[in-house]
Amino acid sequence: MQLLGYIRQTMPTRRIGSRISFSSDDLDKTLALELGETTSQAAPLIDDETFIRRASLDLTGNLPTPEKIKSFLADQNTNKRADYIDELLETQAYARKWARYWTSVIFYESEANKRRVNPQALEDWLAEQFHKGAPWDYITVMLISATPERNKKVKNDYGQDYGPNNFVLACENKSTELASETARIFMGISIQCAECHDHPFDNWKREQFHELAAFFHPYTYKMPSQDDPTVKTVVKPRFLLGEKPYENMKSDARRVSIAAYLAYNPKNYWFARAYVNRIWSELIGDGFYDVDSLGPDGDVVHKPVVNRIAANFRFKDFDPKWLFRLIMNSKVYQRQMRTMDSPSELFTAVRPSRLRPDVVANSVNHLTGEHPNLRKEIAQVFDMNPSLPQSALEGSIQQALLLMNQQELQQALSQSELKQKLQAISSDAELVQTLYLNILARHATPEEVERNVSYLKDSEKRDEAVEDLIWVLLNCTEFRTKR
Amino acid sequence: MYNEALLHLNLTRRSQFTRRNFLQAAALGVAGSPLLSQIQLNAAEMKKQGRACILLWLAGAPSQMETWDPKPGTPNGGETKKIQTQTPGIEIAHYWPKIASVMNDIAVVRSMTGKEAAHERGTYHLHTGHRMLGIEKFPHFGSVVARELGDPNSDIPNFVSIGQTLSSGFLGVQVAPFIIDRPGQLPDNVTSTASATRQRRRLALLSQQESDFAQAGAAALVKEQSKLYQKASLMMTSPRLKAFEFDGESEDVQTAYGKNQLGQGLLVARRLVEAGVPFVEVRSTGWDMHNSIFRNMERRAPDVDQGLSQLLTDLKQRGLLDKTLVLCMGEFGRTPKINARPPVPGRDHWVRNFNLLMAGAGIKGGQVIGKTDDNGQEITDNPVQVEDLFQSMCKAMGINADMELHTPIGRPVRLVDGGAVIKGLFG
Repeated sequence: MQLLGYIRQTMPTRRIGSRISFSSDDLDKTLALELGETTSQAAPLIDDETFIRRASLDLTGNLPTPEKIKSFLADQNTNKRADYIDELLETQAYARKWARYWTSVIFYESEANKRRVNPQALEDWLAEQFHKGAPWDYITVMLISATPERNKKVKNDYGQDYGPNNFVLACENKSTELASETARIFMGISIQCAECHDHPFDNWKREQFHELAAFFHPYTYKMPSQDDPTVKTVVKPRFLLGEKPYENMKSDARRVSIAAYLAYNPKNYWFARAYVNRIWSELIGDGFYDVDSLGPDGDVVHKPVVNRIAANFRFKDFDPKWLFRLIMNSKVYQRQMRTMDSPSELFTAVRPSRLRPDVVANSVNHLTGEHPNLRKEIAQVFDMNPSLPQSALEGSIQQALLLMNQQELQQALSQSELKQKLQAISSDAELVQTLYLNILARHATPEEVERNVSYLKDSEKRDEAVEDLIWVLLNCTEFRTKR
Repeated sequence: MYNEALLHLNLTRRSQFTRRNFLQAAALGVAGSPLLSQIQLNAAEMKKQGRACILLWLAGAPSQMETWDPKPGTPNGGETKKIQTQTPGIEIAHYWPKIASVMNDIAVVRSMTGKEAAHERGTYHLHTGHRMLGIEKFPHFGSVVARELGDPNSDIPNFVSIGQTLSSGFLGVQVAPFIIDRPGQLPDNVTSTASATRQRRRLALLSQQESDFAQAGAAALVKEQSKLYQKASLMMTSPRLKAFEFDGESEDVQTAYGKNQLGQGLLVARRLVEAGVPFVEVRSTGWDMHNSIFRNMERRAPDVDQGLSQLLTDLKQRGLLDKTLVLCMGEFGRTPKINARPPVPGRDHWVRNFNLLMAGAGIKGGQVIGKTDDNGQEITDNPVQVEDLFQSMCKAMGINADMELHTPIGRPVRLVDGGAVIKGLFG
């Protein structure tokens, strides 16, 4: 880490953050300039009820309780939305949700032997970092510069119980895997294709890929020939922007220097931008580009906007909470949802997004209490690649079948506290309101009240009818969507 | 007249004029209308009916020299020996005695040549016919078959995969693979806990709830979900669910396929094809043999040898082989040169030449397509590109390989981009 400090000093990073401010209003103005005419078609802003559910799901993965919804609606403070964001950012649930997200990003496509990695240890360590407000560059450096040691005295002990070791272990400590995953996750660029041939779309050459891989290699790295993999040539380590390590540097020191080049070379605008784009995609539903497969820079939509946010993220010392505040207090985040089909409509509304598997499980457990088996099954059936854009994700018949019929779930619902609470309410209209507040975290509209009340009246058995109403809301698209 | 529209679609695009549809048509009073002349018009289309494909996927990429193109006695040959087969002149690796006994039904392609040497990319190329280059996600071939030959109103999915596989890409959830991982059992959660009447009422209330949400801005998501719920509901009450189980299959038949995940998977595949499912994939894993390849072959081959040979025998006995394409392949081949990996050598990734098996659906069995040289490093006769393979698969299924598909942004792309049907494959 001393070395890191040294490299940091030699980098001309101008720490001018203290003199620069970039507020959510500035963000909205920058975007409005960029969108031009299209701004007039932007969706209206959301009401408090929609806001509190959206913000709570985004930051913590949990639904707000009916009590919280009511008190938030009643609150006269004009600053209450910003205050609520601040409040959520200090919860353990916030740290946990985002730790899960990044663990999933790192492990989703990993082919490492399950006995030699420990995703839970990584998740716990990340949760601790996010809770403390650790800067993103520090987290990245810890992950990339890790040098897990194998303990041969203990079976399958590869150092996986120490959280930060798990990025390297997920890549099976392979130089080529580390090179492509570092570029993908921390720079948002896909250079994987360059392993075998020059990338068809952008300027990553095979040679560059292998120079990066050489950085991660403990000894002399050899690049296989394209025509005959058995013929190899020695490649010297070089970072993507041409930085060369000192000759004779030890391999673990070399790892630290990669991390440093990645985070502190101000010319490496990809680093800050990749993080900004991922968080933006999660919050708004669309990215400025696909989060991990950027080809040429020309594929970035509204580049000035994302570049400005990224520059300011750097000035703010890569503070994750600053970025959440910036985006979530802006108008672009607080717009109503809309299904957008063309790129020209991007960011004029928020895209209705599928909730991640752990969030769906949270929502279900919110109704049934904790059922570990059910949580596991939901995680499996609702599994999704965290690096795919929302528009590329798909539901499945199995998801529908699970929510409709899964036995443990049906049993848990019929014995749930919610059901008992609803059955104790004598007024039908009030019953329906309680139902909607608990499951969809909003009040029912007059039509919904009427519809559900007449369902109750037309049913022979009231307790079955109450179960039906719960079942319908559990199975509606809104339940598993961020609106 | 929603049904009539569907029916019309059936007759013109899919020729699935089943008894049920006919009754529906009669009930709607449209039988005896121009629809009947449609039937005569579509005689050629009608021939497609009952066509199906079973893909046995050997994930990890099996070695050509330990399967259908052994080179014993050469520097690259390793410990693999060759054996005679039912077809005079065709010799395969010694791990495959049962496949050898049904060789008369099989065409071996020894001159496949690919372009992608990484698992994910190779798997994509050999499942979609396209390389992973742009942002478009091309559909799994099974999704194309499901769309072209499947009944869109089918009460069970038109594409089933036993084991994980690729998605339907830009063709959407309508033709996505239905994935199961326990062959011989009903899929999870297909039994409703409510009575039929109660379920109907629930679904009616649900659809009102859904249309509100669609109007609030989530139209695309709701549309997808209602399709999925419709399919799920149909499936729950389908008499054809039985195809997922082994009711009525004798113990002998189950044993003949092999009492293991793969053998039972192939038996389910046959049952699904019989029930009218046009595409089934069955996955076998563990073929990425960088290490200890010869020992691993002894461990891996027997299940596939038994299951696949039994499948071909069984399909033939039931008169299904003429209309069912059976494919057995992996994502690429393995280096002819044996590597020097400790502790026990194996073979690495190799795309220059590899091999696969094709049978049924009009393919001429008992023949070998293409040749490789003695070292197994060069194709010396009739190289077959991935596009040629897909052209041939389309021909076997009666699907137009030149058809245009439309990507989400409306860009037209060809189902198969170039290539030609493999010479001599169909006799």
